[in-house]
Amino acid sequence: MGLHTGTHSRASGPPPERAVGERVALIDTEALAAKLAAIVGERGVLARSSELATYSSDGLPGYRLRPRLAVFPTTKQQLIDIVRLLAREHCPFVARGAGTGLSAGALASGDAVVIGLNRFNHILRIDPVNRLAVVEPGAVNVTLTRAAGAHGLHYAPDPSSQTACTIGGNVAENSGGPHCLKYGVTLNHVIALEVILASGDVVTLGNADGEVEGYDVLGAFIGSEGCFGIALEVTVKLTPNPQGVRTLLADFMSIDAGARATSAIIAAGILPAALEMMDGPTIRAVEASIYAAGYPADADAVLLIELDGLGAGLDADVRLVQQHCLTAGARTVRIAANEEERARLWQGRKKAFGAMGRIAPDLVVQDAVIPRTKLPDVLRVIAAIAAKWEIQVCNVFHAGDGNLHPNIGYDSRNADESRRVGMAMRDIMQACIAAGGTITGEHGIGLDKLEYMPLIFSPESLAAQCALRDAFDPERRANPGKVVPLHSCREWMRA
Amino acid sequence: MTDERTAPACAIPGTRLAAASAGINACVHCGFCLQACPTYIALGDENDSPRGRIYLMRALVEGELTLEDPSVHTHIDRCLGCRACETACPSGVPYGALLEATRATLGEAKRPPLRARLILALFARRRLMRCVVGAARLVRATGLPKLLSRLPGDLGFAFAMLAASESPLSRGRASGADQLRGDGSRGTFALLRGCVMEGLFTRANRATERTLIANDYTLVLAPDQHCCGALHAHAGDLDTARALARRNIAAFEKSGAEYVVTNAAGCGALLKEYAHLLADDAAWAARAADLSVRVRDVSELLAAAGPRAGAPLGYRVTYDAPCHLQHAQRVATAPLAALDAIPGLERVALVDSDQCCGSAGIYNLLEPALSAAVLAPKLVHIERTGAALVATGNPGCLMQIGAGLLRTGQSARTIHPVELLDASYAAQQRTRP
Repeated sequence: MGLHTGTHSRASGPPPERAVGERVALIDTEALAAKLAAIVGERGVLARSSELATYSSDGLPGYRLRPRLAVFPTTKQQLIDIVRLLAREHCPFVARGAGTGLSAGALASGDAVVIGLNRFNHILRIDPVNRLAVVEPGAVNVTLTRAAGAHGLHYAPDPSSQTACTIGGNVAENSGGPHCLKYGVTLNHVIALEVILASGDVVTLGNADGEVEGYDVLGAFIGSEGCFGIALEVTVKLTPNPQGVRTLLADFMSIDAGARATSAIIAAGILPAALEMMDGPTIRAVEASIYAAGYPADADAVLLIELDGLGAGLDADVRLVQQHCLTAGARTVRIAANEEERARLWQGRKKAFGAMGRIAPDLVVQDAVIPRTKLPDVLRVIAAIAAKWEIQVCNVFHAGDGNLHPNIGYDSRNADESRRVGMAMRDIMQACIAAGGTITGEHGIGLDKLEYMPLIFSPESLAAQCALRDAFDPERRANPGKVVPLHSCREWMRA
Repeated sequence: MTDERTAPACAIPGTRLAAASAGINACVHCGFCLQACPTYIALGDENDSPRGRIYLMRALVEGELTLEDPSVHTHIDRCLGCRACETACPSGVPYGALLEATRATLGEAKRPPLRARLILALFARRRLMRCVVGAARLVRATGLPKLLSRLPGDLGFAFAMLAASESPLSRGRASGADQLRGDGSRGTFALLRGCVMEGLFTRANRATERTLIANDYTLVLAPDQHCCGALHAHAGDLDTARALARRNIAAFEKSGAEYVVTNAAGCGALLKEYAHLLADDAAWAARAADLSVRVRDVSELLAAAGPRAGAPLGYRVTYDAPCHLQHAQRVATAPLAALDAIPGLERVALVDSDQCCGSAGIYNLLEPALSAAVLAPKLVHIERTGAALVATGNPGCLMQIGAGLLRTGQSARTIHPVELLDASYAAQQRTRP
């Protein structure tokens, strides 16, 4: 394998030599729990079925899979020992951070063990001179930005769940967030990873200088959804806080007008730090919540636009953006008067997904990317799909980079409604693909989108992805059954 | 949808949890509550997070887990009931109400521990409670608790709590003679004296009366009042809580007061929820609703009046928000307004001031180890402020944080915000010609 760049330590014992798919005798669960407890202590293992129930779902309600066991390392050595034990026992595992993922990617079925990384969560080092930080994978995204704040720096990727989600989870999903329009996604901010492969081998990918030698294996690992291994240490870039920030709220009486404004702003050559859209139902759910931000409740769309950079020239851009919004039909364009108002406008946007519980007991969040120019067309198609299947779609999304998040509230106890939601989801996906887009922007494939993979990849492409995965984890024990549909890999094996 | 769920019938019909279960449906699993939860931060187990506990509640309703399941009891018992998750929840899950309903339902399957039942029984008996608190005051006056606070374990902590209940301000400052009086134009109020407040924080109660009078309110008496029932409600003993609520409603109606004032955040939160507590009681629902809308924390009335400025006090003070003021009553800035009416007071911000201190009613007596784990970061943050006084408006927090400060050898002391304002007014009176 060409993985072993930089430091490298090998797991003790002979490497498992087994054909993929071969059944191996599994260790008795009670015995496995005892061995895990010997590594992390009694408090670090959950073995009771009733205590594992909570771990049978993540941020996407609608899926429930109860893991075999859950284990919670607090140190690097414990995590290494756990993975090596599981390698010896040929036991599959699933890494889980805060369980805020939206593609059921952190669920472990049947014989898999959940490795909870939320207690392995220290910020190890902040280096303000070189503008980088080294963190353990369970560190919560926003705690890094808070810690870096003392040096006038922040960690740029800011998923809406940043107050809860972990850096390790961000690496697994290659998470974005509103500000990735200008600053890039997780991939653009992680410069080195120390990871443990499923075999128990510890390897370093990338380096703190940010130079790539040979193949970009680091790039392959980021976004691999836990199928390539588990991060032990994450080295990230920190970004200087901008000199000036202006946050604007424009409200429209139609989604179309908001989409036109979005296209006009980007076409004018302005690159906002963030450009977010929310539709009427979303606005009203947020305004009913504790995060009410003062969005006009009668509007059919709002754009939340942030411009940042050097103080000079910023206000000229603000005037341009205002003009484009008004030309596209904005009723009003408001500029946040102070930091408090700015924070409130952002809180409303970032908590919008959570506020959907006000609409219906269950929720699916779709995640698709389309060319920005197709925004008005695709949004019209989505509205037609919603009407056809008689469901309610709330749109809240990163308009600036064409990353849509249609939210569909429903009641899973209503079998017919659940079926209609499923059909609508598929129709929306197909519409996005037909418009030249793809099936996920930042939430990942997980379990939820497995069925869409063949819509955008040929059997050969899927087989190539299986081959890449096998370079990292030939036994396919790390987050099994996710990302690439199993049959694709089986077909590839037969070929 | 590859949803394993089928339309589930309720597995526990007729229970309080079943009646409250609509609130569970508001949770969409977003997880935004996790980092707001002190027990999740301390233990790192999602079963000890709001989302996890809601999952357990749902599992009870759907029959995935049973009421006898010991893990369910463990994780529901471990909840502080601080309700910080409510002010983090975009969906508005009524977590506090769900917790009470779950505890009531679980309590029918398995009785709460003896220690809890004894404490709750004591609070429900007014005369006995007065005797016990009176005895505690006598013990405190000997100065022994401060010495014994160094004892290891729960016993030492209990003595430290008692020692910490003593006001750090020197005695006898404010007397009837230097009472500042307003014109009474802002309306009448009756004070919920509170079991612990009247017994151990008598000065804070008098300070509450004096500062409100100074800000143009008029005191009326409500002598028939009882324990508010908050501890009972939080423990799931809703019957006792309702019985106490009815007595208090009658007592405050009789007083004719426009406002019912509390200076104990936990009591105030429940008084404001009497309407919800008695919603299904045909004879009392309207009376309870009428009372609840008249309840104010003392800081709310003070903030509404300004409050008037006093004489300078040269203390460095930090403010810690009681959970039942910040999260349950959603009163966040009013106590700061009371402090900011004191010229010269140096108010420094406390990191994570909206996080629970681990007191949580009688939680620190029932789950001492976890309570201490929740308190520990609070003490570190307080030390970093360099403040001499930590202002907080709830007896449990005053004693919990105060005890922690004593036992870690810090010189900072806890104090109710109104006591500071009262001292400021008293100083103003004394300096008048």
